[in-house]
Amino acid sequence: MDSWRKNPLVFWVFAVPPAVWLLLFFLTPLALIWVFSFGEKSGLIDVHITWTADNYMRALDPLYLQIFLKSFWFAGITTAICLVVGFVLAIAITFAPGRHRPILLLLVMLPFWTNLLIRTYALIAILRTKGSVNAALEQFWGWGNGLLALLGVEHLQLLGDRFEPLHLLYNNFAVVAGLVYVHLPFMVLPLYAALDRMDRSYIEASLDLGASQLRTFRSVVIPLAAPGIVSGVIITFVPALGSFLTPDLLGGTDSQMIANVIERQFKSANDWPFGAALSFVLMYITFFAIALRSVWSARRDAREALA
Amino acid sequence: MKGARRSHGPLDYSRRLWVRITLWLSFAFLYAPIAILVIYSFNDSRRNIVWRGFTLKYYERAWNNDSLIQAFANSLTIAFFSTLFSVLLGMLTAVLLWRFRFPAKAPFEGTVSLPIIIPEICMGVAMMAFFTRIGWPVDLPWPLNLGAITIAHISFSFPFVAMVVRARLARFNREFEEAARDLGASEWQAFRDVLLPYMKPGLIAGALLAFTLSLDDFVITFFTAGPETVTFPVKVYSMVRFSVTPEVNAASTVLLLITLVLTTTAILLQNRSGRD
Amino acid sequence: MTKDNRSRFSRRSFLAALGATAAGLKFSPRLALAEEPPKLNFYNWDTYIGEDTLDNFGDATGIDVTMDLFADNDELFAKLKGGNPGYDVIVPTNDYVERMITAGMLVPVDHSRITNVSNIDPTFRDAAFDPGRKYSLPYMWGTIGIGYRKSRVDSVPDSWKWVFDSDRYARKIALMGDAPTVIQMGMKYLGYPLNDTDPAHIRQVEEMLIRQKPDVLVFAEDNGQDLLLSGEVDVVMEWNGDILQVMEEDDDIGYVVPKEGGLLWQDCLCIPTGAPHPENAHVFINYILDAEAGAEIASFIQYATPNAAARKLLPAEYNTNPAIFPSQETIERCEVATYNGADYTRMIDEAYTRIMAS
Repeated sequence: MDSWRKNPLVFWVFAVPPAVWLLLFFLTPLALIWVFSFGEKSGLIDVHITWTADNYMRALDPLYLQIFLKSFWFAGITTAICLVVGFVLAIAITFAPGRHRPILLLLVMLPFWTNLLIRTYALIAILRTKGSVNAALEQFWGWGNGLLALLGVEHLQLLGDRFEPLHLLYNNFAVVAGLVYVHLPFMVLPLYAALDRMDRSYIEASLDLGASQLRTFRSVVIPLAAPGIVSGVIITFVPALGSFLTPDLLGGTDSQMIANVIERQFKSANDWPFGAALSFVLMYITFFAIALRSVWSARRDAREALA
Repeated sequence: MKGARRSHGPLDYSRRLWVRITLWLSFAFLYAPIAILVIYSFNDSRRNIVWRGFTLKYYERAWNNDSLIQAFANSLTIAFFSTLFSVLLGMLTAVLLWRFRFPAKAPFEGTVSLPIIIPEICMGVAMMAFFTRIGWPVDLPWPLNLGAITIAHISFSFPFVAMVVRARLARFNREFEEAARDLGASEWQAFRDVLLPYMKPGLIAGALLAFTLSLDDFVITFFTAGPETVTFPVKVYSMVRFSVTPEVNAASTVLLLITLVLTTTAILLQNRSGRD
Repeated sequence: MTKDNRSRFSRRSFLAALGATAAGLKFSPRLALAEEPPKLNFYNWDTYIGEDTLDNFGDATGIDVTMDLFADNDELFAKLKGGNPGYDVIVPTNDYVERMITAGMLVPVDHSRITNVSNIDPTFRDAAFDPGRKYSLPYMWGTIGIGYRKSRVDSVPDSWKWVFDSDRYARKIALMGDAPTVIQMGMKYLGYPLNDTDPAHIRQVEEMLIRQKPDVLVFAEDNGQDLLLSGEVDVVMEWNGDILQVMEEDDDIGYVVPKEGGLLWQDCLCIPTGAPHPENAHVFINYILDAEAGAEIASFIQYATPNAAARKLLPAEYNTNPAIFPSQETIERCEVATYNGADYTRMIDEAYTRIMAS
């Protein structure tokens, strides 16, 4: 890694456009809302900036902290599932014959170009009481009963006297399923990008030296893919944490996430300062995690620079 | 490594049974709702909850629905420009962070990651407040009136692209680039002929990601949109108040086909140029 | 929302369209002092207008209408709160009309330009939320009550008890995912006024809902009628119009306003501050209040119209449908929601957050 002084012209060419954009079209709007979070509602539409900490005090109330925790839990499970499944998918794609790869990649991305709402409604069509999954299960149940009848034991009602559909919707299971469904490609892409240029001779060498597949995987593949894993985890965890449409549409009475509360502040509760405060608390927490990552990679770069 | 092809070699993960099973199961999971979506677009029932019969009339309705078509056009236009600028900015950011050390680098990195962290609704409101405060003109002709939405989309897309490209760059061996420059190439040549081709898969992955994010976005778009700048997701969400009719499914199926064609073309083009 | 079995109304619609065109000629802005370009930006709920209304209006007056959509009042309010992005006519519900008047977001409607005001039923000529109807004119009205599946209930569930306070229909209940509505209906059940702001009473409703929550399947986001139709739930708190739509597809579905009373709502036509085409807005509002145009709209969207002249043009089926036009005594049991101040809004939101988090 070079110091910027080594080639200032090139450095500025790369630095100016993103920096200006961020400043103008991102930081400025954010600053506006940040200022709001120290404000108070005055009347129905105005916000008086009184530099009060009231909103933040309210955001740290146990009621809201509990909701934060639950949201972290949802996002965590989603990310874990996406990581495992995504990694397998990324490996399958990376090691597939070259001509198959773009197709497989496309197949992974394609569902995500349909509108989120429609996909969620389609998921509902599958998960609900009379949906595809339960309809199929009911078929199996019928066949099972038919089989039992053939064997002459139908009176024992081994499969129960009535088909009990699985409750797959309007509960936390549905929320996690929906979140995984939405966020899977966000995990696959960075993993694929990292695995693609991984030097396979390392793997071969490890196997030649007698390590098992599992050991190779653990000690060679995963460390080499580490940047991709970190990117993928962040890209998945953070949006999952902040999603509100999915828990809204698929969740039960017990699935409220922090983003749902924030959404309400900007809408029915009409309390923009408080909503701004809640969003910022959320952001401070996750910003902290990102900063950790950045410190870790800075240390690693420093080590490489010395090497 | 690409030349050595042994059947069922240790690296042929994609031939392993468990990998394949996971692959197919995942695709089943990913595509079942899509299949349902497409099938139900032919459903002869306005409410579209139970299957009542096959019909094409909702495709006809969607075709004749001017506001739906307009929303389509808006979504595609915004996605196109957003992807273009996001890839550009994302690439610049990724290379910047990968190649240079500079003061305030850690805060800069953090700032670049912020659009990913922010709850969409917070960013949407921030954008709305911003455009109103600076008096952004609201009655520009098409497609300039999509400017505010596009700017908002670029802001939240390019960090994603940067992340993907960075993951790709992390494994790049700088010696190639240095060798090129030792051999007399200028900065620009080294960039264009060594770095850029290497980044290409990352750029394409990033472009696909940016396109997706833009096309599908609802919350941020809603807050930055105004009259005559309705996008497809916003239109769908408001139609959904009275339940998703097969017309919306029909429109989505068409959108799916369009993007399938576009991406396949892009990939074919890439393969062809890759072979040269 | 396009209806399939509209054949009973097709002749009427045709006549209505003819009449509307003729009526529209009366409103031609050639005679008015309109220096405005012939355009109008209409911000409305989805499918909340007749199939040909906007086209007919365009033919009759030469004004081209663009209709944008919003999904609920909160969106409308949030959108306009930061400044009007260019809308001329909006359709808020009565309590939001109140909010917007208080916030100075509406301009007075010039009644002298709305000649069709005389078409409005006398009950709607004035309103508590907008005295003298300075800022709003009525568009449609209706109730919130209970939709139910006839074959799965013991008897008509004519009390809020069945959704709030009983496990008879455990896990087959859906409530509305709207904080004020749920709490206000809870108030009606407990016998308090709908707009009660007493924190102790709100706490009571909150506790009742927390107790009931295990038996509630979901707080439905505007799709309660779909859940009823698909059999996911058997009783649901919903708007009358939504239940009406599914009643058309399934005879096994019914609607009732509980005996403790429900919510009476009214959607109104208003002109927001900063509208770029206020002249055209008046012409448009006047057109909607015309008898034939109003009849066309009502017959298409199947909500209750406050337009007495329009009702005369509509068939008996529509006028005597109890789900559209509840009996006088039912109306008396219902209450209208009012805007009760910022503190109330905050209390309700926190109560709802607590219910959802428990």
